[in-house]
Amino acid sequence: MPPILPDFSNSVKLKYVKLGYQYLVNHILTLTLIPIMAAIFIEVLRMGPDEISNLWKSLHFDLVQILCSAFLIIFIATVYFMSKPRTIFLVDYACFKPPITCRVPFATFMEHSRLNLKNNPKSVEFQMRILERSGLGEETCLPPAIHYIPPKPTMEAARGEAELVIFSAMDSLFEKTGLNPKDIDILIVNCSLFSPTPSLSAMVINKYKLRSNIKSFNLSGMGCSAGLISIDLARDLLQVHPNSNAVIVSTEIITPNYYQGNERAMLLPNCLFRMGGAAILLSNRRSESRRAKYRLVHVVRTHKGADDKAYRCVYEEEDKESKVGISLSKDLMAIAGEALKSNITTIGPLVLPASEQLLFLLTLIGRKIFNPKWKPYIPDFKQAFEHFCIHAGGRAVIDELQKNLQLSSEHVEASRMALHRFGNTSSSSLWYELSYIEAKGRMKRGDRVWQIAFGSGFKCNSAVWKCNQSIKAPTDGPWADCIDRYPVHIPEIVKL
Amino acid sequence: MAEITYICKRTVVSTKPTQPGKYHSFSVLDHLMEKNHIRIVYYCKSWGEKEAGEITVSLRESISEMLTHFPKVTGRLIRNEKGNWMIKCNDAGVRMVEARAKGSVEDWLKIVDREKELKLVYWEDMIHKPYFWSTFYVQITEFEEGGVAIGLSCFHLLADPICATMFLKAWADKTLGQKMVSPPFFHPLPPRRPINKTSNHKPYADLINHYKFSIENSIPLLDANHTHTTITLSFSDHMVQACMDMVQPTSAPNKPNRPSSPFEALAGLLWICISKVKGLRNGLVNMSLCLDQRKVLGLDKGFFGNCMVCNKVHSNGLEEHNLSQATKVIGEALEKMDNEGIMDLIEWLKHNDSYSHPLMNNCDLICASLETAEPYSVDFVGGFEPIRVSYYVEPTIGIGQVLIFRAPSYDGPLGRVVMVTLPKDEIVKLCEDELILHLSPRILMGVARNHA
Repeated sequence: MPPILPDFSNSVKLKYVKLGYQYLVNHILTLTLIPIMAAIFIEVLRMGPDEISNLWKSLHFDLVQILCSAFLIIFIATVYFMSKPRTIFLVDYACFKPPITCRVPFATFMEHSRLNLKNNPKSVEFQMRILERSGLGEETCLPPAIHYIPPKPTMEAARGEAELVIFSAMDSLFEKTGLNPKDIDILIVNCSLFSPTPSLSAMVINKYKLRSNIKSFNLSGMGCSAGLISIDLARDLLQVHPNSNAVIVSTEIITPNYYQGNERAMLLPNCLFRMGGAAILLSNRRSESRRAKYRLVHVVRTHKGADDKAYRCVYEEEDKESKVGISLSKDLMAIAGEALKSNITTIGPLVLPASEQLLFLLTLIGRKIFNPKWKPYIPDFKQAFEHFCIHAGGRAVIDELQKNLQLSSEHVEASRMALHRFGNTSSSSLWYELSYIEAKGRMKRGDRVWQIAFGSGFKCNSAVWKCNQSIKAPTDGPWADCIDRYPVHIPEIVKL
Repeated sequence: MAEITYICKRTVVSTKPTQPGKYHSFSVLDHLMEKNHIRIVYYCKSWGEKEAGEITVSLRESISEMLTHFPKVTGRLIRNEKGNWMIKCNDAGVRMVEARAKGSVEDWLKIVDREKELKLVYWEDMIHKPYFWSTFYVQITEFEEGGVAIGLSCFHLLADPICATMFLKAWADKTLGQKMVSPPFFHPLPPRRPINKTSNHKPYADLINHYKFSIENSIPLLDANHTHTTITLSFSDHMVQACMDMVQPTSAPNKPNRPSSPFEALAGLLWICISKVKGLRNGLVNMSLCLDQRKVLGLDKGFFGNCMVCNKVHSNGLEEHNLSQATKVIGEALEKMDNEGIMDLIEWLKHNDSYSHPLMNNCDLICASLETAEPYSVDFVGGFEPIRVSYYVEPTIGIGQVLIFRAPSYDGPLGRVVMVTLPKDEIVKLCEDELILHLSPRILMGVARNHA
């Protein structure tokens, strides 16, 4: 009994010390200003009214001087307000809910794998092991063309899937926001692996009869982080065009990319990638500030492509049988860790409170000057953000980030559950995760969200949002019928 | 003429995931049917949208919803510790094949024969790894000028024709958006009712001996040659009435005569006719009757599994081809299949359960009654009966097979459809038999006409 108590009291003491330090450093300005103001006030009281009027008269104020100072103040204020970047609001977003008939249970996936890869039982075994440890559930969906024995990935089927996913998500977005298609000024569609002519953005413009002077962009080949790249592009465009709406469609079309060969490194995406998509409405109109859900605070993009290993770690190529697939290298996790570190170094100073930055600075100075053996201080990002949306690239990615950022299981719950229910939906997974947090009723006004996405190249992109208004748990959306079953315990290995 | 183009093969799964870790074992009656499979074809008129493929899509959606209630069907076969089959409910799903055919259903039905009809029901024999082999197959063939053919084939180990029809009925109910009338009931066979247990109870030997004989004298599948063909005869109300009138014996006034059922009358008729075409002038061919025992065993109508038991009909002493005597003997054999007799058989089978089960019932003429299946009550369209229904229990080798089931309602309450499978030359002779010609049933599906 006795040995436990001192430890407990020690940790409590430490906690209070930490809290005290954080409060002190984060509110340093207020804490220094208040005594100064108090001192001035006391001084004024002490001086008495006569002395004050004497002091006032001794300052010779010329009319010209007064006018110049007034103009200067007005000039500085105008320059400040003009150069301030426009606030970008996320009015609302909608995620695609796959039809339940596209569901692929583990047993069906393995069976099809076995029937399609008759001559290579070892590849089937490999896929089974991946699936067991993947963290996916039994309700993830693949597009109809992949359900056939053998799969029929024709271009028509790919277009069919694109239409199903994108139009569903956009219809849902129009319904939620009451947006008139003619009011869309900017359209950005990102889909990494399927890029037909005319582009998917042209397909959207054709379907919804959008305006002829719309600014449309189609981003392809940019991997799973393309969603945040689109957000960044939209933000830059919305700085230039006042009073505009931007719609972003993030998706990944699975049909043409189902690998039908035997190379193990290329079979991995088959096991993890699933059908999904999201449509997001951004605006810089002041009128939207009342009903917008979030405000965009920062977007930080880091590209490690200059490093050859990082460039080659997610590589699309033909295997020995001339079948095209995406090969994932073995040091993917290490490279992801490096990219994350790079991204954190840039985003840290923007979002961390002063207390954490000071600690980091002190440890850095200490390591450089005193003792290089000191452990580098990992800033506590939990103080900068209330919610984390980590791209559900796979169980390994989420585990790695949880370890690196020292996050608790509640923080990564949204990512794990989105992976379980929807699989790796590539660029749209961040939106399914955000939807999960909202569906659980955890999003309150003023909460800050950090979205992190990794992509081929190798890229690590982050976006920081601030919640504009407390969000009631929505009755529609992709989680509406199953949110009560979550969170679910996902075993380490599912026995197949 | 009508060509069939296969569009695709896929797997349909249920809409809700099954609970992992559930298993399903089979009863002794199931094990006997290991070497057989069933094929059923339903012809319906088109409904709703006439666009190609829309009916297939709506059927696919409704079967997905319906499969949630049939975890046994979506599971896969594995062996248990004793070496017998067992189902692991792993949610793998059911294979579906989609096809298109030229022409309309009506045109097809005019020229259909066994070979053509079997193209509408996809079936795959068990593959090397049974764990990846689907036990149920569904084929949806849309006719370009109207009509749909729905084919269901399934492994006889899991289901008999009665519950296969019930499976289709559940699917039809779901397609119409209705609730299932009798949800499936997956339980082992019931134990003997304790009330009737007497200490010196003599087991009903005939039934047991019949099964023993069948198992021991089964013709191996490889030795048989497949030259059988099938015809479908439709007996309307008055034809069956006429047959039943022929059956009533004129002699023995002091013996009370139980009126014969349509099944007994038609079974007797076919027994005699088939014996004649097989060249047996004196005496009748060995025949066993196969009946659904759900009611006898006190089981719910939705019992999903094998519950049909066969009993041999004794033709000793019947030298003439006398219809009323034949029917009387059939009636006696049916009466003997009561609860006690069936329970005795089940217990004997449990004691003598071996690892491999040979092909059953191919040393007799099988005459099966699918009365309780009520095939024409399965309605996919909403208010319309199917145009036609066909049943096949494969493989048919040996002497032959007769399946009798209810006809559509326009043929009256006594109307019956009879599907007869015999070697080709015997079928031709059967159609020319005088008794058959006397009753003049409609030939729905005849022998294949050889194209020159």
